[in-house]
Amino acid sequence: MGLVQNIFEVSGFSTVALSMIPELTRAVGVPRLAGISHPMGRPLGQPHDADGQRAVLRATLDILATAQGPDAYIELPFVWPESPARARNASRDLPPPPIVALLKAKPWLLVNLYSGRIPHEVTPAPTPGSRGEEGI
Amino acid sequence: MSIDSYRFLDFGTRQVMKAWAARQQRGVIPFTPLAKPLRECTIALVSTAGIARNDDQPFDQKRERRDPWWGDPSFRVIPLGTTEQDVRLYHMHIDPRFGEADLDVVLPMRRLIELASEGLVGQAAPRHYSLMGYILDPAVLVKETAPALADRMHADDVDAVVLVPA
Repeated sequence: MGLVQNIFEVSGFSTVALSMIPELTRAVGVPRLAGISHPMGRPLGQPHDADGQRAVLRATLDILATAQGPDAYIELPFVWPESPARARNASRDLPPPPIVALLKAKPWLLVNLYSGRIPHEVTPAPTPGSRGEEGI
Repeated sequence: MSIDSYRFLDFGTRQVMKAWAARQQRGVIPFTPLAKPLRECTIALVSTAGIARNDDQPFDQKRERRDPWWGDPSFRVIPLGTTEQDVRLYHMHIDPRFGEADLDVVLPMRRLIELASEGLVGQAAPRHYSLMGYILDPAVLVKETAPALADRMHADDVDAVVLVPA
């Protein structure tokens, strides 16, 4: 997302991003960023909470007007109304994403995910000590 | 840092995110000053929630199931006025039900129209966009998708872009 934002900015747009993981976005480095403590899948807030959503969008847009230079960062003060456990439990009935199922079956591939060495195709099961085929 | 959305994630995902953050290297950060007052700007929204209209092609979940290291790097156009009735979310790493119950949770087009009528911004762009946020190898995203989106937004005279993660 940070990479995409920077391409837009270089292309002549003023950009601002909302981020639930500002640590990651700031590590890339972007022109304008709003950090928010909302759960994934609900960046603007709860469904049908128009007032809450509008407040988040307004605070994010404000940064476009106030930022004086790159790496502008504001931590938005919004507090999520549910406990983290409750927010996580709301999605517990969903199937895990494919990468999670793969890593449960082949945990040695976790090193690729951690390191960012992303295989270009599904790797054949590597022998212990090798990492299988790797992309760039 | 007081922002902590990690607490909404399971332990494994949290650790991977932290490892990725630690590996990033900052380059020169670009900055394009606002060309005019915010109240005159045309604003476009870009979501990574994997939103596709029901009359458009879904994001490719089949290929990701076959190759879990791959994520669909294409984009979808979401015209202003599109609602949750018209779309589905094709992102297997988030709970799609919140955005499908109320599209403004992930792509706040109605909220943007309201803020435009308040005078905070000039207007909502006629077209907004969605990516699918699970992309481990950003090559196609960077080389093809983002420049194509920039061209389209220039064609709509967009001044500023709000990126909304999922």
